[in-house]
Amino acid sequence: MPDVTRKILWSVLTAGTALATFSAVPARADDPSADLMARGEYIATAGDCVACHTAPGGKPFAGGLKITTPMGDVVTTNITPDPDHGIGKYTEEDFEKSLRHGIRRDGSRLYPAMPYVSYSGMTDGDVKALYTWFMHGVKPVAETPPVTSLNFPANLRITMGLWNMVATSETPETGDSATFDKLRRGKYLARALEHCGTCHTPRNIMLSEKEDSYLAGASLLGWYAPNITSSKTGGIGNWSEDNLVEYLKTGHVAGLSQAAGPMGEAVEHSTSHLTDDDLHALAAYILQVPAMTDEAEHSPREQFGKPLEEADVRSGELTRIDKLDQMDGAQIYDANCAACHGGNGAGTADHYAPSLFHNSVVGSARPDDLIMAVLNGVDRNAGGVHVHMPAFNQTSDVERLSNAEIASVVNYVTATFGSGDHGVTAEQVEKMGKELPKTP
Amino acid sequence: MPSEQDLSADVVIVGSGVAGSSIANELARAGISVIVLEAGPRVDRQHFVENFRNLENKPSYQGPFPAVPWARHPPDQVTPNDYLHTTGPDAEAYQQVYLRMMGGTTWHWAGCAWRYLPSDFELKTRYGQGRDWALKYDDLEPFYYQAEVMMGVCGPDPKVEDLGSPRKQPYPMDALPISYAAQQFRKLISEKTPYRVVHEPQARNTRPYDSRPTCEGHNNCMPICPIGAMYNGSYSVYHAEAAGAKFVPNAVVYRIERDSANKRVTAVHYYDPDKGSHRVTGKYFVIAAHCIETAKLMLFSADEQSPDGIANSSGHVGRNMMDHTGVQVSFISGDKALWPGRGPLETNVIDNFRDGDWRNERGAYLVHMVDDNQVDLATQLAISKGYVGRELEEQIRYLASHTVRLFSHNEGLADPDNRLTLSKTNKDILGIPHPEVYYKLPEYTVKSCEHTRGLFRDLIGLMHGTDEEWTPGYFPQDHPAGSTIMGTDPKDSVVDGFCRTHDHENLFIASSSVFSSVGTGNITLTVAALALRVADTLKKELAHA
Repeated sequence: MPDVTRKILWSVLTAGTALATFSAVPARADDPSADLMARGEYIATAGDCVACHTAPGGKPFAGGLKITTPMGDVVTTNITPDPDHGIGKYTEEDFEKSLRHGIRRDGSRLYPAMPYVSYSGMTDGDVKALYTWFMHGVKPVAETPPVTSLNFPANLRITMGLWNMVATSETPETGDSATFDKLRRGKYLARALEHCGTCHTPRNIMLSEKEDSYLAGASLLGWYAPNITSSKTGGIGNWSEDNLVEYLKTGHVAGLSQAAGPMGEAVEHSTSHLTDDDLHALAAYILQVPAMTDEAEHSPREQFGKPLEEADVRSGELTRIDKLDQMDGAQIYDANCAACHGGNGAGTADHYAPSLFHNSVVGSARPDDLIMAVLNGVDRNAGGVHVHMPAFNQTSDVERLSNAEIASVVNYVTATFGSGDHGVTAEQVEKMGKELPKTP
Repeated sequence: MPSEQDLSADVVIVGSGVAGSSIANELARAGISVIVLEAGPRVDRQHFVENFRNLENKPSYQGPFPAVPWARHPPDQVTPNDYLHTTGPDAEAYQQVYLRMMGGTTWHWAGCAWRYLPSDFELKTRYGQGRDWALKYDDLEPFYYQAEVMMGVCGPDPKVEDLGSPRKQPYPMDALPISYAAQQFRKLISEKTPYRVVHEPQARNTRPYDSRPTCEGHNNCMPICPIGAMYNGSYSVYHAEAAGAKFVPNAVVYRIERDSANKRVTAVHYYDPDKGSHRVTGKYFVIAAHCIETAKLMLFSADEQSPDGIANSSGHVGRNMMDHTGVQVSFISGDKALWPGRGPLETNVIDNFRDGDWRNERGAYLVHMVDDNQVDLATQLAISKGYVGRELEEQIRYLASHTVRLFSHNEGLADPDNRLTLSKTNKDILGIPHPEVYYKLPEYTVKSCEHTRGLFRDLIGLMHGTDEEWTPGYFPQDHPAGSTIMGTDPKDSVVDGFCRTHDHENLFIASSSVFSSVGTGNITLTVAALALRVADTLKKELAHA
């Protein structure tokens, strides 16, 4: 599959807007029931609407985030209840059509950057709750973000109608989603709301998710959303339900993995706010997704590596570097990584800085996410802990590593703590460094 | 390096430390063209960290920062040190260290970000000692806050712990958590003495701030914060560059050129490492080259028009050298283990002696309980006591967990006889003389230090201390100030209240060299606030030009 077709969607990398609770508007006499509003807000969180419909540093749901697709940039729209700039004039029927079918109030087609193929699985009751909350619980913003302009032929919104004919959509669930049994609820959360497949399922040549490879892993703008099927070698078949719940709640499980980039955002804005019951339902469903073997991963990626045995006393020359020659991978690690991740790679005792061995990102045969984490850093505020690893790219204030230095330290880290030296080159790092988030 | 014809800007700044780089950042953001000339090289953090790891002598603050031959700095706090030559009765008490590097000396500070007290600016008026500044605390308050936001300063809620410097805004970040050692020390002081221990305001992150991580307590702020949680001038350099300012490393300014009336500076001249000379013109000039190097440059620029040096009609350039020359002791507590060394180095201060009526006869001071790892000292002590084998290990553990280190910042006083001059015998490879300082500790400071010794003895008694190790004589604090002193009268001062030189209308100085008194708090935040005020003045004047 051409790499380009995989780069379909991605979440906000740098949306600095931590939106644990959304700004409420004053109560009115004709207010809908508190239960309906609470459910609507919860559905919006589970659907992670804010991730795409808020620009970095912008007002919640006022749109303006630029989403890069192979056909050009899609700019997300204002979905606050402002009548002129937002969706204030939408009836519930209009809202339902755009949410589940990708058809706007004016009849034109939405680009599938909006995951309506997933949201099509939502129940009528949840659509109603979501609509009600957007109309009454979101603060109107009188701003219109820039308009999307795509390349031909995608610039013709009619084309999207044809695309919809070949793309697979979720079948709407019926009944009260709150009463579903565990696996049904989990499936509903995974497929209709959290839209896990949007990133984790590879896409076919038509950019539609390949249903026969559900959650088998895919690239998105430099990051690799890994295989999270139940495969014990390629996926997360060795994780327990509790492991996955902890991951979705905090973004981190010691000895397994941690979230950064788009997944860090998803944890911060969405999954960490789900109820424990929902997290268990979601985890139980994910863990029974049919195993897909992985073309690259042949052993469990979380099981590689061990602590580096360090000598008590440094051997060799105890001298300072008066000549600023390029340092080798071990020295770059020592000077930039060891302070937090330890000379032996074990991380901090409280796991704030994770261990680098027994770490899926380091053990993966694909060094993509490790490179992206070094380039862009990690910033994840979830589960009561604000994790921050600085970026080491050319905008860093802490240390600006060259592409060659990043390649060399990544190769050192995977060789020492992971599945071996993957021979990352400076050119590869340069290419990934260009996949940076764009603000309009 | 820019070609000759590029070397002109609205504002030319000499020095890229916290003062120079923050002015450059403010001006560049306002669309003003800026060139910053830095004598030293540009080096990344990772090289300093790797040097620190390789050094055998970890407490050597200068060790990881190799000087280049064309921009030397003192190799360490020792006499003689072959660069900063000190003479006089208290020569050893003036062994200041500093760095000549892109980003400046804040590469190895402890992040202590004190505001001065309102009284510090009015020492003469209130206590009949020393000199007043040509500005008041309230003039600087907004710039103090701007500096705190720029650096990222954490500190206590004034309603809970009032540090005596009135604030209009809370600290940008919450105060640091208190380490175990500091908790024990606080408890002792509050229960057994009339004094108090306060949170030291710190330019370090207690949450992710400015794209830099939270402090993890690596305990080696000096000589180098390994993760960038503590502010240093290199961040302001990066921010200024992103806004369009131009920084030239390895550019050693050696001459300040004026117009024929000697009223305006027209250019500065610098040597590159091969002694090629370059001329840089501008509308305004700021010397922000550290207290010692600033005075050295102004004296070395003497010519026929100004035979005593630039901006020196008063004869005060190089005079009034001050510091927080203090007292230091370490001892072994006979009480419960403290386990120092968890967290940043300097976080807890006894602040009861920062101000009082007694300042009419003796200087103020503050006391740091230093929270540094004591394994090195404990090991030396245990070996000197003759322990071996298993007992040695046990003793190291015991001593390292029971060591207490206290030191003070005692208030210096402006005395024109404490003077920096150009060395007549020592020159660097560019032919520029080394600095030489005559220093005699003012009686005012000596009395303050005696009072501190008394306090330390009381505290040692309270903690049933043994094995006292007093630093002989006095302890230099690397907070030099006063060499281009501020005042209202051009006859006895070098700059006015806006840090503009009395003699040259477009020449400003941004450095602790303008301080008229040194108070007791670490000097960096006041340096930054004064610099931001210089930037504010320049922005207004250039907007009206």
